[in-house]
Amino acid sequence: MIRLESVTKVYDGGVVALEDIEIDITKGEFVFLVGPSGSGKSTMIRLIMRDERPTKGDLWVAGKHASQLPVWKVPHLRRSIGTVFQDFKLLPNKTVYENVAFALEVTGRPRNVSRKQVPQVLKLVGLSAKADKYPRQLAGGEQQRVSIARAFVNRPLILLADEPTGNLDPGTSVGIMRIFDRINRTGTTVVMATHDHAIVDAMRRRVVQLDRGRVVRDESRGIYEQRTAESAAPRGAGAGAAETEESEPQAESVDKDDTATVAATSAVPAAPEHGDDGDDEAAAEEA
Amino acid sequence: MRFNYVFVEAFNNIRRNALVVLGAVLAVFISLFLVFGTLIVGEIVRINTLRWSEDVRVIAFLRDDFRQVEALQATVEDWAEVDKVVYMSKPEAYQEALELLKDRPTALRQIEKEPQLVPASIRISPVELDRYQTIEQRLRNLQGVDEVVSAGSAVDQIIAIRNGLRAFFWVLATALGIAAVALVANTIHMAIYARREELEIMKLVGASSWFVRTPFLLEGMLEGLTGAGLAVGIGASLYRLAVDNLAGLPSFIEVAIGDDFLVQWGVLILIFGLAVGLVGSALSLSFHRYVRA
Repeated sequence: MIRLESVTKVYDGGVVALEDIEIDITKGEFVFLVGPSGSGKSTMIRLIMRDERPTKGDLWVAGKHASQLPVWKVPHLRRSIGTVFQDFKLLPNKTVYENVAFALEVTGRPRNVSRKQVPQVLKLVGLSAKADKYPRQLAGGEQQRVSIARAFVNRPLILLADEPTGNLDPGTSVGIMRIFDRINRTGTTVVMATHDHAIVDAMRRRVVQLDRGRVVRDESRGIYEQRTAESAAPRGAGAGAAETEESEPQAESVDKDDTATVAATSAVPAAPEHGDDGDDEAAAEEA
Repeated sequence: MRFNYVFVEAFNNIRRNALVVLGAVLAVFISLFLVFGTLIVGEIVRINTLRWSEDVRVIAFLRDDFRQVEALQATVEDWAEVDKVVYMSKPEAYQEALELLKDRPTALRQIEKEPQLVPASIRISPVELDRYQTIEQRLRNLQGVDEVVSAGSAVDQIIAIRNGLRAFFWVLATALGIAAVALVANTIHMAIYARREELEIMKLVGASSWFVRTPFLLEGMLEGLTGAGLAVGIGASLYRLAVDNLAGLPSFIEVAIGDDFLVQWGVLILIFGLAVGLVGSALSLSFHRYVRA
């Protein structure tokens, strides 16, 4: 679905953002990109959505040779990629429904398509009851759900997320992650750049760790921080629940309750959660 | 594609930036109004100089022994700069001379005594006034031509006035056209900036560049067209008003110009306004990163 072959990205002025990256992401995978600020996570997201071109190397996205794609074909590539950002990027003068429908409208889809698909996707993110609200009337987590709905409304093959929980408190992040998980289960490939240890550790998906533009770790069912040889030993599928019992580095100061919740919900995606806003009923109904 | 989307967006942009749009429309209006006015005045001048110059001819007097008059006439008629050639034979010239000289008895008597002194001639009307010198040159090189005369200095003056007016018109039209393009570009720039968040999202979700750009191009064209429409409408009305109120003008000045002229140039100015709007908005789009893929 996404393949980077010796991809190097050097920005104007000589800053090397990515160096000789080899990654192959198959359809339906859920991949976390982790690493400190400036390690190249966002650059990789931008390369995949063809906001930037690699300086060297080849990049295939959704069956297209993205590194060679002419500018006029970029819109077509973007239609098979949904994108979610830390700052939501919602239009303040449009309602929730209109914000989501906007993605279909401006790609030329007829109105009856949005009438059918927008309610479906709003239900998926648990916002059916707030379709007529404006973004400023919503909490941060709800706004991010709207932006996820917009990214997913045309059923893209790939969902890219750049720090989607960066502006949200841990409890709200859990709800957001449940939605990503649910979307991933429909067969959509998800690539998420994040700093959120709790989420990565609880979800137990593939982790690609970047450091100064290089891949330093690529681990299926990984956690955020690299462990010593023993603690990084292979685990069973149910290991997520046991996660909280292990000693976490104190510096991370992760709320253990939340971690446990993510672990539980990633195993049973539709289970009701605590500490989130009132839309869980809708989400639960849908499941 | 959803054409009504494009229209709705264009109209929304215009409504949101009403004041700036008004500025651009006024700029296009003033520029094109002056252009239209200059055109009308220019046409009046042209019609009048045309009337005055209808009599301007190049006359080539022929040698008495020259016989191939018809061949000569045919040759001259073939020249691109020649409109009409009239042959005047010796007897005809004699009759004309009698007429012309009837107030000068001495000369008249001289002619009457020796009718063969009046030479035959061909009289040539140029297609364009300023071609008369070329015609003179070419005539001098022809066999059988004795002497060439024309109303030189008078013609030169008319040509100078007309060329001056033309140059003034083009300089004015160019300067005002550039100003109008710049002002339309500015309003589009404002519109793009006002919608930058929306445009960013459109690019994000894969809207085609056609979809992103067309509302702005349409907005520019609407502004240009509105300005041009005002210019043509007000210009034509003012002209009619002026004609009605100038009935007492000396009869040798003709102010009535054809409806054909007004319609033809009116349409051209509307198209020009449309083009000014299109170029202005295209210019603005090409500079803006928000609308680039």
